Amino acid sequence: MIDLPAVLADVGRGMIPAHIYNDQEIFGLERDRLFSRAWVFVAHESEIPAPGDYVVRRVLGDSFIVVRDELGTVRVMFNMCLHKGMQVCRAEMGNASHFRCPYHAWTYRNDGRLAGLPFHAEAYGGDDGLARQGQALLPAPSMDSYNGLIFISLRDDQPPLRDWLGDFAFYLDLYTRQSPAGVELRGPQRWRVKANWKIGAENFAGDSYHTPHTHASVVDIGLFREPRASKRKEGALYVAGPGAGTTYKLPPGGSFGEQLRYVGYPDEMIAAMASAWSAGQRELIEQAGFMVSAATLFPNLSFVHNWPVVDEAGTVVPFVSLRQWQPVSERETEVLSWFAVDAAAPAAFKRLSYRAYLMCFGSSGMFEQDDVENWVSITDMAGGSMARRLLLNSRMGLTLAGAAIKPPLASFSGPGVAYQGFGEFNQRHWLSMWSSHLTGGDR
Amino acid sequence: MNTGKAKPLPYSDERHQAAHQFLVEEAALLDAADYHGWLDLLTDDIEYVMPVRVTTARGAGFDSLDGVGHFDEDMYSLRKRVQRLDTEHAWTEDPPSRTRHFVSNVRTFASGDAELVVESALLLFRSRGDTREADLLSAGRTDLIRQTDDGLRLARREIKVDESVLRTQNLAVFL
Repeated sequence: MIDLPAVLADVGRGMIPAHIYNDQEIFGLERDRLFSRAWVFVAHESEIPAPGDYVVRRVLGDSFIVVRDELGTVRVMFNMCLHKGMQVCRAEMGNASHFRCPYHAWTYRNDGRLAGLPFHAEAYGGDDGLARQGQALLPAPSMDSYNGLIFISLRDDQPPLRDWLGDFAFYLDLYTRQSPAGVELRGPQRWRVKANWKIGAENFAGDSYHTPHTHASVVDIGLFREPRASKRKEGALYVAGPGAGTTYKLPPGGSFGEQLRYVGYPDEMIAAMASAWSAGQRELIEQAGFMVSAATLFPNLSFVHNWPVVDEAGTVVPFVSLRQWQPVSERETEVLSWFAVDAAAPAAFKRLSYRAYLMCFGSSGMFEQDDVENWVSITDMAGGSMARRLLLNSRMGLTLAGAAIKPPLASFSGPGVAYQGFGEFNQRHWLSMWSSHLTGGDR
Repeated sequence: MNTGKAKPLPYSDERHQAAHQFLVEEAALLDAADYHGWLDLLTDDIEYVMPVRVTTARGAGFDSLDGVGHFDEDMYSLRKRVQRLDTEHAWTEDPPSRTRHFVSNVRTFASGDAELVVESALLLFRSRGDTREADLLSAGRTDLIRQTDDGLRLARREIKVDESVLRTQNLAVFL
């Protein structure tokens, strides 16, 4: 038995018991106390544009059908027949007006209502034995969306999603609302890595410190627009609501348009961003020159924005990716990685942005490849006995006495708290939310 | 895939034999991590694609994602991938994987005067370190192989992987 209060006390002071990255008991607590209630991303509305379009997604062991019904309403339903529990949908995507259970042919409309079952009169005595009215596949206890991103919770007492997102919505817009048309998601690429799910979530939340070394190779080959990955230390780290992220510091003195052109956006997209974003969102880029990079929304949805060189001519093109760290066990994670692009972007931009994404992130991405090598190795080590003696130092940015080594940025135009330079404020923030879920705290 | 109508060249046909040998020699280069030698086998207008497979109903009419793949490469991006492996900082392949590309089920179809369409089955065994289980990737490949002044060259490859969720930590390898 682990001593949970002692583990969380260590986490709270930034000394992380190494075994939490490969511990069956901890994983059970994450399943029962965290994923049992947190808002978890399942799909984006652009993945199911037409009536009947569906995708099947999981929250740990639970399979859900995310479907647009005949009236255009998005629904999320537990993929288990009311009769004997067979999965009513065994494909992962498609278009259907009905879902028919293969076992006894109970058939549901794509809004979840039971449409019919064989031999209703003979087997059940009709509605006297089984009233069809009111029978429906179990809906996700809570469902809500923001910018077309669909989230569910396995509890029905969650605060509205927008309330939960809080200050992070400001940053979420920079990735998923570059124009009124909103974002479209393509994918996901899916693959399994022998790594604990928390490591990727923490990394994307705030680990600008790993970039100069882990990703040295992509700078070596000139793929990355920034000449030196050490420029990372000039970026700002922010914590905002249930999210946290990193930024790059662009060359000083650029206007809003010049900053966005520098990372490769065409003028028509820049004009759309200027009208879609608030003054504060524009100032983050224009005044301060901070361009969003990686971020994580607790618990397991991450974002990345980067701008590599996509051809021999040196063309720089940005891309956005969303990715989910779907836990399989304490030692294995399924990664779902989507290419995301503004729906109204020019076709030529979409094509190049897609190629930029493929080169950098996803199953074959050259950044991502080296990340995962690290995370698999950490997880391997965290499963042994010695890992129970080791406290990992996650105190970057704090003095020994626990004070920040420098003050937060005073003039940061985004909400939340931001620090310039390296630090592990964001990872500790993520872990504090993790801790409060594991103790059944107020989150 | 030319599963139905078209008839493959007989195994005795020299074009089939040359194509088969090309694939086996290519696999040997990849297993020897001779990636520059491998690039030399590609035409400058190479298209190297690997769709994401998805589980769909039999009647759905599609079994791959539209709009995103695992690979969608041209010579620029393939060169970058090889250049990266040349650096001292490509940690995911340092120490390198032990790989074996098993190539079989080769069927060759004539396509004009100077091109061959060649289908093959690939089983990639990939082993890293000493504690992890090895990875296996099974795929069907459809190649366009072109006769050039320098010999046969690969002009297009489509890799149809047989899993919807890859069981390998990344695609820092070529198939």
